[in-house]
Amino acid sequence: MAYLISEEAQELLGAVKDFCEKEVKEQCKEYDRTGEWPKEIYDKAIEMQLHMLEVPEEYGGMGLSRVDVAALFEEMAKADAGFATTISASGLGTKPVLIAGSEELKKRACQIIVDGGFGAFCLTEPGAGSDASAGKTVAVKDGDSYVLNGRKCFITNGGVASFYCVTAMTDKSAGVKGISMFFVEAGTPGLSTGHEEDKMGIRTSNTCDVVFEDCRIPASNLIGAEGKGFSIAMKTLDQARTWMGCIATGIAQRAMEEAIAYTKERVQFGKPVLKNQALQFKVADMAIKIETARQMVAHSLTRMDQGLTYSKESAIAKCYASDIAMEVASEAIQMFGGYGYSREYPVEKLLRDAKIFQIFEGTNEVQRIVVANNTIGRF
Amino acid sequence: MEILVCLKQVPDDSVEIRLKPGTEEVNLDGVANVVNAFDTYALEMAARLKEAVGGSVTAVTVGPEGAKDAVKTCLAVGANQGYLISDPAFEGADTLGRSKILAAAIKRLETEAGKPFDLIFCGREATDRATGQLGPQLAETLGVGVITDLVDIEQTAGGICAKQETEEGYRRVEAATPCVVTVNKPAYDPRYPTIKNKMAARKMPIPVLSAAELGQVDPGQPGVHVVKVYEPAKRQAGVKIKEETCADSAIKAVGMMAEAKLL
Repeated sequence: MAYLISEEAQELLGAVKDFCEKEVKEQCKEYDRTGEWPKEIYDKAIEMQLHMLEVPEEYGGMGLSRVDVAALFEEMAKADAGFATTISASGLGTKPVLIAGSEELKKRACQIIVDGGFGAFCLTEPGAGSDASAGKTVAVKDGDSYVLNGRKCFITNGGVASFYCVTAMTDKSAGVKGISMFFVEAGTPGLSTGHEEDKMGIRTSNTCDVVFEDCRIPASNLIGAEGKGFSIAMKTLDQARTWMGCIATGIAQRAMEEAIAYTKERVQFGKPVLKNQALQFKVADMAIKIETARQMVAHSLTRMDQGLTYSKESAIAKCYASDIAMEVASEAIQMFGGYGYSREYPVEKLLRDAKIFQIFEGTNEVQRIVVANNTIGRF
Repeated sequence: MEILVCLKQVPDDSVEIRLKPGTEEVNLDGVANVVNAFDTYALEMAARLKEAVGGSVTAVTVGPEGAKDAVKTCLAVGANQGYLISDPAFEGADTLGRSKILAAAIKRLETEAGKPFDLIFCGREATDRATGQLGPQLAETLGVGVITDLVDIEQTAGGICAKQETEEGYRRVEAATPCVVTVNKPAYDPRYPTIKNKMAARKMPIPVLSAAELGQVDPGQPGVHVVKVYEPAKRQAGVKIKEETCADSAIKAVGMMAEAKLL
């Protein structure tokens, strides 16, 4: 069972599947080994406009519903989760502007994406992970400018982005209410990228430090108002994390499909091993988990499209989908037996790719805090 | 340059197609329809030529209502407009019949536009029946020249210069326009549709031309009669001869052929 999508999106899905099969799936095996960021694949994806699916229609986007876009993202994730993460991280990087930015900033950020650029969201710092309020990056107002200083880490698209949405303290005494959000374009003097992570999975995505040293930006690049940065960041993550659930679901779907295909062919004791009910039940459990995750993603996205609250649903979708992606990928390796542990076969990569989805954009422990708070309420 | 691309909708050639057991009927259950691969090469070559020298590309197919999908696909990857030629009277037409139908449609579209097509592109063959006849037959019906098996094309002062693939290599062939060209696999791949073009193509009208609108076109009785439909025989496992030296292998091979009374 797939997402319930429009006829239009069905047609697009066919084209995206064709692209991913021919241009992404096999090619990414080598990039997974080398850790190189596959620019030529992204160039082709940009040419096909896969990079701008989340751009709102009024700023040059497609005008597809979020569930339609989810179906396309899942297809990309099935081919390679790092590829889908890179594309999705541009959406994450654009969200602060779309949530609270001026009309001028919205147009500028979206145009950069439409023209083939990438965006990045800079919240995490070496000392500020789950405790995002502990960030040390500062922004000081100086006439018509702000001057930023600090170091962000684990920034997806950090080394390839054309713009960054950055949280920085504008009032150290005010705690989270002293955090503001800024729009910084690549090439601004004082902005540089540092250490690039050599990651366990999603190796076709770029993750690195982003450093600000007396980085001067126009005061008009403040997103929303001073002191609103933390709130904008939380709203950004609330929206973005459903997309991580969507990609995680894609990883799980790929793992199940690979496991079914392999065990139909693998003969032991004179019959395909999938003839054994023990393995059939594993597939059933995979299907139950994947379908539940997918429909939770769809539910959260539908709520967003309808203008309803989605904080709890988004956290459930991300948390559940990433947890089951780990379980399904692990079971897929089990179904492959010894070959599943070999890098020659596709499933070990899926487990490595899946793990980060339990960690980034809010660890699954943080997701449980969000779900608990939204369920229990204040007492 | 005004370009027409003839295309055909065929069963997906990336899946294995079998006969229904015990019959001569091809089992196409669950097999998707796609645009013939060689026609996609023709369209890409036509689109690139148009982009280089200006003009427009028209895509046209003969087929049932469902073949509109094939035209729609082409509208997302380089064709400016598309037409479906469809009529119950055209069912069962062979390649010669189809070339007559296409020729009539071409005349009709030329009259409507008030200008002739300079070039008519076809794939070298369709992946379903692989006769490779339509292009030359269409040229003959229209009374114009034809160059087959193109892998590249450019415009010249009075027409075109084509790179033709032959069994020995390549040949440069010049021709005056109008003419028909059939296209083999070029050095490049057909483009992917952009998401926006794909969405726009969905909304574009695809006019249907019926027999009445083409004037009195008679595809005629099929000149080809199918005698038998059967699957290719399964090849038996061969014998591998791998002696220590090539000479020993050759001697053994000749010996085996002699034993089988083949020599």
